[in-house]
Amino acid sequence: MPSAEPAPAGPLLEVDGLTIRFGELTAVDGISFRLAAGETLAVVGESGSGKSVSALALTRLLPPPPACRLGGAIRLEGRDILQLDEPSLHRVRGKEIAYIFQEPSSSLNPLFTIGAQIGEAIRLHRPDVKDPVAEIVRVLDLVGIRDPEKRHRDYPHQLSGGMQQRVMIAMALVCQPKILVADEPTTALDVTIQAQIIALLRDLKQKLGMSVLMITHNFGIVHGFADRVIVMFRGKIVEEGPAETVLRSPQHPYTKALIACIPRLGQKQERLVTIDYSTLGK
Amino acid sequence: MVSEITRQQFRRFRSLRRAWYSFWLLVAAYVLSLFSEHLANDRPLLMRYDGATYFPTLKFYPAEAFGGQYRTEADYLALEASPEFKAKGGWMLFPPIKSDPLRSYLRESGSPPHAPSARHWLGTDDSARDVAARLLYGFRSSMTFALTLAVIGAAMGIVAGGIQGYAGGWVDLAGQRLIEIWSALPFLYVVILIGSIYGQTFGVLLFVFLLFEWIGLSYYMRGEFYRLKHQTFTQAAQALGAGPIRILYRHILPNAMVPVITLFPFMLIGGISSLTALDFLGFGLPPPTPSWGEMLQQGLKYLYAPWLAISSVTALFTTLLLASFVGEGARAAFDPRSSNAIR
Repeated sequence: MPSAEPAPAGPLLEVDGLTIRFGELTAVDGISFRLAAGETLAVVGESGSGKSVSALALTRLLPPPPACRLGGAIRLEGRDILQLDEPSLHRVRGKEIAYIFQEPSSSLNPLFTIGAQIGEAIRLHRPDVKDPVAEIVRVLDLVGIRDPEKRHRDYPHQLSGGMQQRVMIAMALVCQPKILVADEPTTALDVTIQAQIIALLRDLKQKLGMSVLMITHNFGIVHGFADRVIVMFRGKIVEEGPAETVLRSPQHPYTKALIACIPRLGQKQERLVTIDYSTLGK
Repeated sequence: MVSEITRQQFRRFRSLRRAWYSFWLLVAAYVLSLFSEHLANDRPLLMRYDGATYFPTLKFYPAEAFGGQYRTEADYLALEASPEFKAKGGWMLFPPIKSDPLRSYLRESGSPPHAPSARHWLGTDDSARDVAARLLYGFRSSMTFALTLAVIGAAMGIVAGGIQGYAGGWVDLAGQRLIEIWSALPFLYVVILIGSIYGQTFGVLLFVFLLFEWIGLSYYMRGEFYRLKHQTFTQAAQALGAGPIRILYRHILPNAMVPVITLFPFMLIGGISSLTALDFLGFGLPPPTPSWGEMLQQGLKYLYAPWLAISSVTALFTTLLLASFVGEGARAAFDPRSSNAIR
């Protein structure tokens, strides 16, 4: 297992031969990829392909061994996350790598105001902030919540799903992370809100210059959002490359099938393409 | 930390009139009973004697002070009746119930139990002790017992259930098996055994009840902690870098309080009725202590003196009914599942 210090000018995040095992089951089988500063990487794959667990593994948000065993290396600016102790890990979570999840309505604690929950993130990672309320109002404004001076006193159930997801994004951004991991952030939202959230993420990414790791099974989102794409299938990376190239000329049969399933305006789609799993081998 | 949801639940609880009034009646009765010494006593609240003012329910005065022979506490009832007292311009203001719960009033005509009279509103028991005074003191001791029991028991249940639910795995498995064995212990035998060794004092009884009180709530708390541990918002907090203690106190515990609130009144009811039952059987608080169970026992023994049975049964029934109303209302207000079932 390589544990030597890499050159300081390396990528922001380097995943090297990451393996995730749940008991006998290998969920992720030796994947490697890099994420440069300011880059947007989309990880595409079907349910169970290992994309979400890979994202959670980036800050070891998985059950401790023996339930789940991690192999390989995840280097964030040269430090191997898999070798960190618990306290340093807590400093990486949220501060260096922040997450947004799929289900905004259940990602917020129903008993506290959204302001209090963003304030919790500030207290955890930015003790130097003197006026937390001003900072809460600032990030809420940044993610496009109107009237943030009033809204930060709202409880999660008083907000719509799209606004809840904006609050989740605000919670992630307030710690000024280097990497934002968005785990299917739009799956639970309806289509127009999806577009708004994606537009917001694109806008924020440019404004703040952070790296984004977008996990999705929707190639429609990839287009115009991601710089590079990784396609995962059965715990392995089957295709990787610049977004445009992968979208235009997919190589792997699974990618081809997935792209063929995107509905297009003006075309009548007869049947969705299916793939014969037996021919793809394991 | 009072959230909008909690406030809504309180508003809902208030709107359930029966529960709301029962709650305040119980609270008022208990607060009043805390001042039992000033409500039922054969010492006067206020006394004038020989130009000086005395407060016998608050302070001890020897009989010597009022022309008696001994340094023991003055017998105010005898003093009031003495001609010398009146000669010195003395007067006394007695509490509403002019009797001590432990004293026998044998001056009444006939043999005890005496029927209700102007002197003893609810009559006296077989030792000629005032029933009204004993009811009041009995209420205080059973409420105090049940409240202490429910508070400590709930805390223990939260801790025990919380540990099992949060840790999961073999901790949970071992905990559940231990609880199964523990809860199979026969309660009554444990009470008799420990009571016969260490004496049946308030503390010992509380301890024995506590051995079993936490089990019921711990099941609920285990489930709540287990459920909340896997909620997305706890995982989101984890992803934000919150440590386990922060997650437990801020994200899991406050969200797990609903079963505690809804079960608490029923734990109270359980406490009152089991203490009464134990007293009734004679394994409860030792004899001179005023207790409802002991009064029920007398009611059964002296069926020809119905005031004994009627007063104690009415008192017990009313208290339990009020507590049930509170519990029913709390369940309706705080438990999202059974929302509009009770009105």
